[in-house]
Amino acid sequence: MKVSYNWLKEFVDFDIAPNELAHMLTMLGLEVDSIENIGDGLDSVIVAKVEERAQHPNADKLSLCRVNNGKEILNIVCGAQNFKSGDKVALAQIGALLPGDFKIKRSKIRGEESFGMLCSEKELGLADESAGIMVLSEDLALGTPVFEALRLKDTIFEIGLTPNRADCLSIIGVAREIAAKLDKKLKYQNPIVEETAVDINSIASVTIKAADLCPRYTARYISGCKIAPSPQWLVNRLQALGQRTINNVVDITNYVLLEYGHPLHAFDFRQLAGGKIIVKRSEEGETFKTLDSQERILNSSDLTIRDGERAVALAGIMGGENSEIAPDTTDILLESAYFNPSTIRLTSKRLGLHTESSHRFERGTDINILTVALDRAASLIAELAGGKVAKGVIDAYPEILPEKSVNVRIRRIYEILGLEMEESTVSTIFKNLEFNVETVEAGVLRVAIPSYRVDIEREIDLVEEVARVYGFENIPMSMPVAQVFSDRVPLRQRMERELRNVLVGEGFNEVINFSFASHADLTKLNLPEGDKRSAAVALLNPLVDEHAVMRTTLLPALLQTTARNFSLRNFNLRLFEMRRVYWFKPGEELPDEPLHLAGVITGLRNPEGWNQTKETADFYDAKGVVEAIAELFKLPELTFVQGGVEPYYHPGKAAAIICNDTLIGTIGEIHPDVQEAFELDRAVCCFELDFTKLVELGKETGVIVTPSRFPDTYRDIAMLAGNETTAASIVECINNCKLDKLRSIEIFDIYSGDKIPAGQKSIAVRVRYGSFDNTLTDEEVNRIHQKVIANLTAKMNVTIR
Amino acid sequence: MRDKLEQMQNEALAAIAGVTSEDQLQTLKVRYLGKKGELTSIMKGIGALSAEERPAIGQIVNAVRDRLEDSFTNCLASLKLSSKNTRLQNERIDVTLPGRRTSKGTKHPVTLVIEEICDIFAGLGFLVAEGPEIELDYYNFEALNFPKDHPARDMQDTFFVQDNMLLRTHTSPVQIRTMLQQKPPVRIIAPGTVYRCDYDATHSPMFHQIEGLMVDKGITFGDLKGILTVFTNQMFGNDIGVRLRPSFFPFTEPSAEVDIACVICRGKGCRVCKNSGWLEILGAGMVDPEVFRHVGYDAENVNGFAFGMGIERVAMLKYGINDMRLLFENDVRFLSQF
Repeated sequence: MKVSYNWLKEFVDFDIAPNELAHMLTMLGLEVDSIENIGDGLDSVIVAKVEERAQHPNADKLSLCRVNNGKEILNIVCGAQNFKSGDKVALAQIGALLPGDFKIKRSKIRGEESFGMLCSEKELGLADESAGIMVLSEDLALGTPVFEALRLKDTIFEIGLTPNRADCLSIIGVAREIAAKLDKKLKYQNPIVEETAVDINSIASVTIKAADLCPRYTARYISGCKIAPSPQWLVNRLQALGQRTINNVVDITNYVLLEYGHPLHAFDFRQLAGGKIIVKRSEEGETFKTLDSQERILNSSDLTIRDGERAVALAGIMGGENSEIAPDTTDILLESAYFNPSTIRLTSKRLGLHTESSHRFERGTDINILTVALDRAASLIAELAGGKVAKGVIDAYPEILPEKSVNVRIRRIYEILGLEMEESTVSTIFKNLEFNVETVEAGVLRVAIPSYRVDIEREIDLVEEVARVYGFENIPMSMPVAQVFSDRVPLRQRMERELRNVLVGEGFNEVINFSFASHADLTKLNLPEGDKRSAAVALLNPLVDEHAVMRTTLLPALLQTTARNFSLRNFNLRLFEMRRVYWFKPGEELPDEPLHLAGVITGLRNPEGWNQTKETADFYDAKGVVEAIAELFKLPELTFVQGGVEPYYHPGKAAAIICNDTLIGTIGEIHPDVQEAFELDRAVCCFELDFTKLVELGKETGVIVTPSRFPDTYRDIAMLAGNETTAASIVECINNCKLDKLRSIEIFDIYSGDKIPAGQKSIAVRVRYGSFDNTLTDEEVNRIHQKVIANLTAKMNVTIR
Repeated sequence: MRDKLEQMQNEALAAIAGVTSEDQLQTLKVRYLGKKGELTSIMKGIGALSAEERPAIGQIVNAVRDRLEDSFTNCLASLKLSSKNTRLQNERIDVTLPGRRTSKGTKHPVTLVIEEICDIFAGLGFLVAEGPEIELDYYNFEALNFPKDHPARDMQDTFFVQDNMLLRTHTSPVQIRTMLQQKPPVRIIAPGTVYRCDYDATHSPMFHQIEGLMVDKGITFGDLKGILTVFTNQMFGNDIGVRLRPSFFPFTEPSAEVDIACVICRGKGCRVCKNSGWLEILGAGMVDPEVFRHVGYDAENVNGFAFGMGIERVAMLKYGINDMRLLFENDVRFLSQF
């Protein structure tokens, strides 16, 4: 909301500079977002007189003027047509800098020198459009800066008002805050209306048929108005605060809205059938054309203002086209009413129709200001549009709202703020806010809450007022005294951090993608019909289709991230993401949100460098990371079950990761089709793990085995085996010998090709032996090792080489 | 014999002095001191000497042997030294070539900031709490004193899943869930992902917040100022200015916006702080009695404060990032700098 420094000064005497005022308002909770100085730097635009306007000798559309700036006569070339000799105009002198960084220089136009420019309102930033140059009033003194002469110099503050402070949606509201803070009185007079002898009740009537939604409706009748453009001062005020000018009567209602914060509406009285106003809920399905020419379909919860026959306004939001002020309107009915905030909000939200009026009504207006605002507008209409105000006000107010008062304990102020305050200090703060105060008993004040302070209902609200006006900066700082806690950071949280640390150590960059996904992402993964990942939690109001659902797997986003990096020529990637995925959980109130971990490896295994090998990372790099993770969590042994576990993996290069018969994740190279669907022009290996299961299956501390004091010995076995023979089966076969001296088994070479029969491969295994009692002798080792060889030859289809 | 010995010694010493390699030296050693060497063969003549002469000659032989042994040893040492020096001189690498790296990863800046803030508050005795991102209206709004159809709800554009189910718009529902689960005292810090239906240069539909809550007997607004000052000092530097100014949140009262002195210009005024010298970094306030009522705490008996801040905002200030979108584009050239 915008407020004007000059306008505020009409209501409170203060002599602090605009910047200081902005700071003060901010510290009162009315945050000043920006400050605009109107007319700043425009002192070289002055009032001047056109002594003579003649045709430019070389251009039909230009005139050559002799302009008096109060000191000398200047030659000025001008293109506008809307002025004549003798007019006073706005002259931008050489050196003036107009809005938009437009500098006025001495120039030659079609052979004639020009020493300045005659300005339009648009050029001075006073209007969005203007038809010609500004022609000023006769009585302005030559040579004075135009902004000064027109009293346009002002500072406009843009205030980011919090929704609780409905009372500050006006000049008077903000002025009241300033007065409270500066210990001043608000300058405020009730408007005086000159009335005719005709009684309004003989002309118009108001009936409220929905008192729950409209507890009070007041109106005045004004005849003989002449609808015309508003005077310049009014236009300037409105425009400075961002309001468009329409005509004098509508502008006056808007002016009062800005000044008092209360929305008014003017009806063309001849359009009100029977001179009647009926406040009533709408008919279900009724159509109604608002002022903006939009056809609206109403329902029975919308509140309308009707005449004897039809709706004429959407209460508190916008008037109807059928009764708006027209150029030939003469008699008007002026409405000043109070509408229930939530009904205004519901209708305004449903219709997507947010207006200055609805903005105020839905935040809560002052039910006691209605007739004051009405009188202010009526007196201005009388003054500026020549209207005759009929005697009396229609005031339909079936049930008068009781005055509100709230008790506050001085002790409570101390408890909440940690600040000892005298009762008298507290009392003064309230009085400055125009709250009446009386002492109920020692240490307890009863505070009468003015009707415009709709935000104050409880003791805590008054504590806040005290803190706010006293100044947060004046409340002393302290440190809380608290009990020592005994809880430790839960395992899950510690492991989450540890896991990230391990992945960082493994060379992974962490990425964060949006939690949203699209149906297309899931389709690209080739998921079969009925896959539970396709049944994602959907949003009712997504911003875009790509964000239609909550993701059920981290992979699509990770693949997109990979593709984006490829397009940026980042080809060697190790990326991980550890985020939640979202599932519907049958029988539960809310969806499940398990934490998943997914990783991508692609490109070179090692960082590029003059001294690095240039192998491409593959499945086993990804598997190595999974193994490192398993070690971190001290998981029981993992089983990698080969096969088409997921349709998005290469069928021959993928595995399900099983731990204790539980599927904890999958790993594999991305299927060429999926790779293509995600526009990846290189092979990519991925894994996705369920973090929750890692924590469940893991152990906090493993069993630590004291190593033997004697060194181990090893024997290597080289064997030929069929291609289908898995490493795991060989390891298992050796383990099955159940040798207590066996220490470890390590596959150290796999080879096929030259000198190896087709369909076979050479597998080399190193088996380590050791004892806790002595260093094993060659004979002992050979004896044990023979059992291993024998078992392999007997149980496996292998040839020892 | 004496002459022979002397002659041999002189010969040998001269030879040693001319030696250039360990091999040559070894050959010489065998030649003069070996089992079949010259000294041995001279010694064979001892038998022919008289008994009186023998000890004297024996002494000379030993002296010659010792002398030669010493000489060989010294020569060997100096040969070794000089060959080592030569080797060291020749073995020269280009130390300006880059080292051999293993790939180093990074955490996302959002993660780094969350961890840093959690650590600071862990030091103050705050435990980390979590809650669901898909949340019920009740926890996200109602229990936090956002009545239905209240303009305060407009402050947070909401993604809905169902009529009463939504993507949480802030981490504040974790306050409610925590207080419903435990009795005071409460001291938690709750980082998490939140969502608002808004997407432009300065708004992301998904972002992160961290929420703090402390409830106990005798907690005051002054304590809130104290804790936040300790936090901002640790996070942004000990001399950073902090100010609280009145604001509005439905679930706290009094409510405050908390500004720190601009980390870019240190309060002088610059583009980042829009010339105000201050940067808004968090919202805070005393827990509203209405919130206590919802969770069954006695507002007459305990007080509390709550605060919350946007992680992205803190990350951008801390690392001097000027476009929030960078945080979610995941360009590794950006990510690998953290």
